[in-house]
Amino acid sequence: MSGKRLAVIFVGALLLASCRGGDGAAPQEGAGGIKVDAGVTSEACPNAVDKSKGCIYLGTISDLTEGPFKTLAVPITDAQKAFWKRVNDQGGIGGYEVDVTKYVKDNKYNPQIHNQVYQEIKGSILALTQTLGSPTTVAILPDLEKTPMVSVPASWTSLWGFQEVVLESGANYCVESMNAVDYATEKLGVKSVMAVHNAGDYGDDAAAGTKIAAEKRGLTFENVTTTPGQDNQGGAIDAVVSKKPDLVILTTGPTDAAVIIGQAAARGFKGKFIGTSPTWNPGLLKSPAAPAIKALYMQTAPWKAWGTESVGHTAMRAALPGVTPNDGYTAGWVWAYPLKAALEKAASNKDLTRAGLLAAVRQLTSVDYEGMLPSGAGNFSASPQDALFRQTTLYRPDDAAPTGVTLVEDFFTGSTAKDFKFEKPCYQ
Amino acid sequence: MDEFLQSLIRGLGTGSIYSLLALGFVIIYKSTQVISFAQPAFMLAGAVLVSYLSPAVSFVGAVLVAAVVIAVLALGVERTVLRPMVGKPVFVVAIITIGVDVVVRVVTNAFIGLDVRQVGDPWGLNTVSFLGAEVQQRYLVMIATTAVVTALLFLFFRYSRIGLAMRAVAYDQEVALAQGISVGSVFALSWALAGGLAALAGVFVATGAGVDQQLWIVALKALPAIILGGLESLGGAVVGGLAVGIVESLFGTYQNDFAPWLGPNFALVAPYALMLLVLLVRPYGLFGKREVERL
Repeated sequence: MSGKRLAVIFVGALLLASCRGGDGAAPQEGAGGIKVDAGVTSEACPNAVDKSKGCIYLGTISDLTEGPFKTLAVPITDAQKAFWKRVNDQGGIGGYEVDVTKYVKDNKYNPQIHNQVYQEIKGSILALTQTLGSPTTVAILPDLEKTPMVSVPASWTSLWGFQEVVLESGANYCVESMNAVDYATEKLGVKSVMAVHNAGDYGDDAAAGTKIAAEKRGLTFENVTTTPGQDNQGGAIDAVVSKKPDLVILTTGPTDAAVIIGQAAARGFKGKFIGTSPTWNPGLLKSPAAPAIKALYMQTAPWKAWGTESVGHTAMRAALPGVTPNDGYTAGWVWAYPLKAALEKAASNKDLTRAGLLAAVRQLTSVDYEGMLPSGAGNFSASPQDALFRQTTLYRPDDAAPTGVTLVEDFFTGSTAKDFKFEKPCYQ
Repeated sequence: MDEFLQSLIRGLGTGSIYSLLALGFVIIYKSTQVISFAQPAFMLAGAVLVSYLSPAVSFVGAVLVAAVVIAVLALGVERTVLRPMVGKPVFVVAIITIGVDVVVRVVTNAFIGLDVRQVGDPWGLNTVSFLGAEVQQRYLVMIATTAVVTALLFLFFRYSRIGLAMRAVAYDQEVALAQGISVGSVFALSWALAGGLAALAGVFVATGAGVDQQLWIVALKALPAIILGGLESLGGAVVGGLAVGIVESLFGTYQNDFAPWLGPNFALVAPYALMLLVLLVRPYGLFGKREVERL
């Protein structure tokens, strides 16, 4: 065969390959007459409970080694492994079991790495059971929409309410902060509020919610951006001590929060701090800042803590025996429910293709969180304004509680969040 | 006046941490001509080790043991990873130290676990009256410890035979080798000293809120300190570290009142602005050695 002919065949093969529709396999009929494409195989999962069932592969992109959120990311990932194992033990979904162990990638909380590892696994998975971080997920968002790849975030930015491929759970940072300000206004009588936050959509989203609530309530508002790092909190501490707000809404990491609370209190500050859920770590109760934290700090949370009595919480604790209680596990477990509901819906629709899964997501009017979120949570069929989940909880430090916090206020919606017109991400 | 004194003591306290780190950077640079980017990992490892040891052997005992263990670890890293690279371009060796940093940090992170760990220091956030102002005890301890450590280091380099050997190697490696000095031992010892100093610095950082895996970032503040003070000068490292701490603290306290137009968080940029100002006047840093090269 001449070189020229070989070249023509090679180019032709390349063209044919490029016409296949990228990484997605052509739809075909799988077990039970269900239509499948990428990420679903008739072969059993690597650790299948029932070898006769096919396998749905879900991907995980998390911060597993050296990034800043490893202490949350590892329990989130472990909880999701336990969650899907329970699903498999209970018979799987539509004649398939679910594997979340084969395609687990570390993003080091770096958007470039996140995109790179996503490209490595996207051809082999039906959906992402975890894409950790807001800036990291934003880096792959256009691809997620184009593919389409249904994805479960491990973050709470209000942006996700506008992305139909993203299956968020619970209230976002913006709503958390609105409810925190409303609570403090009504129960603690605060007249001034300061948002101390990291830059980026985590902190900016909470600061935006704080500002919206402060304006609605007629409170004085101050905005202070702070850089991560224990040695970098001097500016924020000076701002808190000199402006003396009645309430500080914190959106930082746990040790940075402890430095700010401890140092501000040591310099005579007597106002209250309410932190979003990532500001908390049970280890802070043993830190030098513990007396100040117990006296001045409360924590908002999108759902109830590890030790709560509900069907979901009980199942989670049973599925994770022997672990140190941590609400990273709770978050990972809760976040998995909507994807389970979407997979079940898609299976009952006889369409487990990526497009079929997205169509199933759009049909979800509510998700059964087994009591971990109130009924009505998990509406993915309505507009962002109608679907936005607006209830949060409030906790205070408690040495006796498993994760160091005890419930102060059960699920509630403040008047600001209740009346808020959700037309774009809060921080934009 | 009280506010100024409090801000100054805070600055000197955190500046002491930067000084300890900067001393480590400079000691390694003087003997090997390489900036070691593994210092942040040794700092983190030291703090984590103290968090495990302090319940068993008291805080002070834990700090001493951790400083020695991290010094031995750094020495081991030098002997096994860096020694084969002697003679290679310093840029290559510096990149290898970044790899060492990542490896040591990832291993250390596994020991941190899910919760923030505590080093168990006796001071907490307690304050004491100092010249009429209420200042935190831990800052005074940091300043005093750094003063003692710095004095011991100067005595060591000035009067001990090994210290003299280290100075000779810093001056000219080949001549030192010709005089019978074991340059390899000097390299290893400089890494060990830097490791011990980093461990001590890590413990001091952790006295505020505890040890998490992001503690290492603090070590980066030593970089403007060593450039400011001069890469070859131990005294420069101490002065540079203290200057960075003081400038950061005073800007944090007063910039909002006197220069709000500089914007929020200028205190974090201030050490770098100071570094640039110093470099404009003294391109080799405050105490750096002016390089003369034949063209």
